[in-house]
Amino acid sequence: MPPSVKHDYPSAADETLVQWAQTGDTEAFEELVHRHRDKIYARALMMMRNEDQALEFSQEAWVKAWQRLVQFQGDSSFATWVTRIVINLCLDQLRRQKRVRTESIEAMDEESGGVERQLPAPEVNPTAGLEQDELRRRIDEALGKLTDAHRTVVVLHEFEGLEYKEIAKRVGISIGTVMSRLFYARRRLAFLLQSLKRERSE
Amino acid sequence: MKNNESLLDLQAYVDGELPEDRRREVEALLPADADARELVEGLRRLSGLLRTHEPAAVVPASREFYWSQIRRRIEAESVESPTAPATAAALGWLRWLIPALGVATVVVVVSMRSPSSELALAGGGGDVTLADVSSTVFRSESDGVTVHWIQ
Repeated sequence: MPPSVKHDYPSAADETLVQWAQTGDTEAFEELVHRHRDKIYARALMMMRNEDQALEFSQEAWVKAWQRLVQFQGDSSFATWVTRIVINLCLDQLRRQKRVRTESIEAMDEESGGVERQLPAPEVNPTAGLEQDELRRRIDEALGKLTDAHRTVVVLHEFEGLEYKEIAKRVGISIGTVMSRLFYARRRLAFLLQSLKRERSE
Repeated sequence: MKNNESLLDLQAYVDGELPEDRRREVEALLPADADARELVEGLRRLSGLLRTHEPAAVVPASREFYWSQIRRRIEAESVESPTAPATAAALGWLRWLIPALGVATVVVVVSMRSPSSELALAGGGGDVTLADVSSTVFRSESDGVTVHWIQ
């Protein structure tokens, strides 16, 4: 790595840091890592539900981001670009895991039985009255109770804002399966959040 | 609003994924279908809740330690400057060179193995077209030379 010219890294915008990093400036890249590392780690943790794997994949994502930095054209924000890298790493790992273990009965049931299973429809306001941090924690808990397959479509749709067809392409499933999984996952989340609310009121 | 298709259509409506004509149909249906309205409202509420309360997490390592591990991995993989002009130029050439070499190899192998390539044009030269590889071969027995044109 070539020596870098001294810049005011903390004050520079992401776009500027990226430009510097693209010339081989590792200090600029370190500043980018510092700014966005929690977001990248959080996304990996949300998908993998395992701290060691989340740490591993988040670091791997940064290494790949450095290696592919020349390909970054600024079509999205830098943070979004790196987030997509870590998501791809997680999806690869989830596919490998799926090969060596059987999907849960719940997931198989959903795939074969349709979406009209009698889980409650999402309540209008299942979490009224909860504090914001508490609500985040409850949502995280509920996401943790979904299968990998269901959680993945929720993360890609709700948090990454991807359309059905893009999710289908990334995960390697049909659009119909995306819709089915998303619907089931949402009903399950609504049910879990309602349960949490009931626990809290008891 | 009982079957799968209807439920998934309502979800697609909430997600803005319905075609225009189907979207109009759903909008026409909603005033008269309380169950459908309840589902649409619930899905919207849940989606809004998730998007505004995305769970967060903090890397369980100091800035220095986290970066040192990344840097070590970058160096271990002998990564050069990501924009080294020579590397970029080489990659550009390889993009064309590799397929070209592949085609050339196929032509050579075909011409060596195919009986048609052995067509000798006594005393002079001539053209033999290998239609399946879009190439033309000129062979001169007298000169002992074979030339391949790749199209």
